[in-house]
Amino acid sequence: MKFPLLSGLFASALLSLAAHAETAIVLNSVDENVSFIDTRTYKETGKAPACKEPHHLMTTPDDSSVIVACALSNELVFFDPKTGKEQKRIKNISDPYQLGFSPDNKWFVANSLRLDRVDLYNAADFSLVARVSAEKTPSHMAFDKASQFVFITLQDSNEVLTIDLKTRQPLWKIPVGPTPAGIHMTPDDKYLLVGIMGANYVEVIDWRARKTIRKIITDKAAHNFLPRGDGRHVFVSNRSMNGSISLVDMQTLTEVEKYDVPGGPDDMEIRADGKELWATARFARKVQVVNLEQKKLSHSIPVGRSPHGVSFISHAPRQ
Amino acid sequence: MMQFLTDCFVLIQGWLFDTLVQPVLFALGLAGYVEMGFEGIEFALLGVIELTIAYALMRPLEAWWPAEHWTQRRAVRVDVIYSVLNRLGIIPLAVFALLAPGFMELEGWLRFHDIIPRQLEDWLPGLDRHPLASFFIYLVILDFAEYWRHRLSHTFRWWWALHGIHHSQRQMSFWTDSRNHLLDDLIAGLWFACLSLLIGVPPGHFLGLLIALRLVENLSHTNTRLSFGQLGDYLIVGPRYHRWHHALDLPSDLRYRGGCNFAILLPAWDILFGTLYLEKELPPTGIHEISTAEIAARDDFWAQQKLGLTLFWKALVTRPEKSPSA
Repeated sequence: MKFPLLSGLFASALLSLAAHAETAIVLNSVDENVSFIDTRTYKETGKAPACKEPHHLMTTPDDSSVIVACALSNELVFFDPKTGKEQKRIKNISDPYQLGFSPDNKWFVANSLRLDRVDLYNAADFSLVARVSAEKTPSHMAFDKASQFVFITLQDSNEVLTIDLKTRQPLWKIPVGPTPAGIHMTPDDKYLLVGIMGANYVEVIDWRARKTIRKIITDKAAHNFLPRGDGRHVFVSNRSMNGSISLVDMQTLTEVEKYDVPGGPDDMEIRADGKELWATARFARKVQVVNLEQKKLSHSIPVGRSPHGVSFISHAPRQ
Repeated sequence: MMQFLTDCFVLIQGWLFDTLVQPVLFALGLAGYVEMGFEGIEFALLGVIELTIAYALMRPLEAWWPAEHWTQRRAVRVDVIYSVLNRLGIIPLAVFALLAPGFMELEGWLRFHDIIPRQLEDWLPGLDRHPLASFFIYLVILDFAEYWRHRLSHTFRWWWALHGIHHSQRQMSFWTDSRNHLLDDLIAGLWFACLSLLIGVPPGHFLGLLIALRLVENLSHTNTRLSFGQLGDYLIVGPRYHRWHHALDLPSDLRYRGGCNFAILLPAWDILFGTLYLEKELPPTGIHEISTAEIAARDDFWAQQKLGLTLFWKALVTRPEKSPSA
């Protein structure tokens, strides 16, 4: 080979491009479909039908599938995160709204926001194990590290409900601020962070002591969480029309950064290299991309109506 | 251009949501309805756009090519009130608020007892992967259901007592489409909710379906000589076709005792069930009122509401004196 250095550089550039280029899957709730976005060009490359009234998507713990929760058609639709192709549908999952796997991967939990209920499934085969009444309006969920408890925010009764996964019984509720939405366990397993959508803060709960220990002011309509992947920081989407995303330090329990993200930022995803944060802007019908190095919005990608979840395979660790 | 229009629409929708709807829902402890609220604004904004389109297209037809020449349009005013209340989502919101809790309770109970009603996609697997086919199938099913709801509203005396308000307009225009007694609207909502529970009408399709049906309904009430032609009038409901539904007088044939041309979108249902009647001339519209209260209520919103309830109650508690007429 005459130009080994040049060839090496060329190959490395190609590899780098290939590594960078992948498909992001975005769920459009009202349009009832998913959009595929080329993460290199930031352009929508296609769409595929999903199901009736889909809400939220999540990757399976092994990243082999992206699951879409279909509230009205009572099913889960699985997509291949690499190709975007539909893999399978699991029927008779009643009214799933928000989904979660317990850390030990034994439990698959589905919140039925509309029907005030939490369903506990065996994660291995998605067979129903128990139904727990959860008034009012069970929204998001978090687990403790030992997978003993699942914590559910109850949006309309302003509480956090704890369900014991061993007994499958509700244990206790604690009152929180108005309209709690997202909920996240700190990496040290000590505190629950709750996005208070009816106000402008994240409520910090010492769940073992069952009491609020702090309120971290973020912005109007604090909504959802995504860990940065460094084991210390978590992003908080503040879902208003002139919205923002806050970065919260989970050790000091303080807001350390904030980025303007208009259009109602809701669900988020972060690139594996930690350089970009993607967020679905529910009201703007867009996916907003924040360049975390420049700390500002870098791309606005038009998608469908009410985008409610974004996912790509090379994401940062979920902690 | 399309993206610019979408951005403008979204900006208005988001602003209304952020400043008006979301704070109210939160204050009332109804955060579970936040997403529905956001979509509700879209519904109302689309209603405004749809009314604007209807006015821009159908008002010139009424001015330049009318079926009837009117010396004044005062009688139309009350229909404008109904249209604005309906298209801005005020009546649909009230209907939803009255029906949603009961239906959610019922659905919750069914699901909690492991009863998941089968939906259209369970009968026709794969339909959910074909949005366009799915749209047309839902359109046909909804139109079929609307045919029967409409026909039954002419059949039962208590229902006709309410639906007669819609027919009492003698100056029928594109605004007349929304002229319905509020209880009649509630029953229509109940009808749709039951159907939704039975086949699972996807909300994403619902807005598209609703707008498609509404524009056709506006046009079919328009005071115009416009016809879709000999074949077209049998394919889709138009002004001439629906004018015969509102005709002041119909042939004495027993077939038309309860009325004719009940179809909303597709005349196929009238053809199939023997309720089609179509002539070349354009008949006067309205009903033969039998009391002074009925005549007095022609142009008055509240008088119509009161009259509808009075006749509704009377129909429930008395034996029929004569068959309802269209």
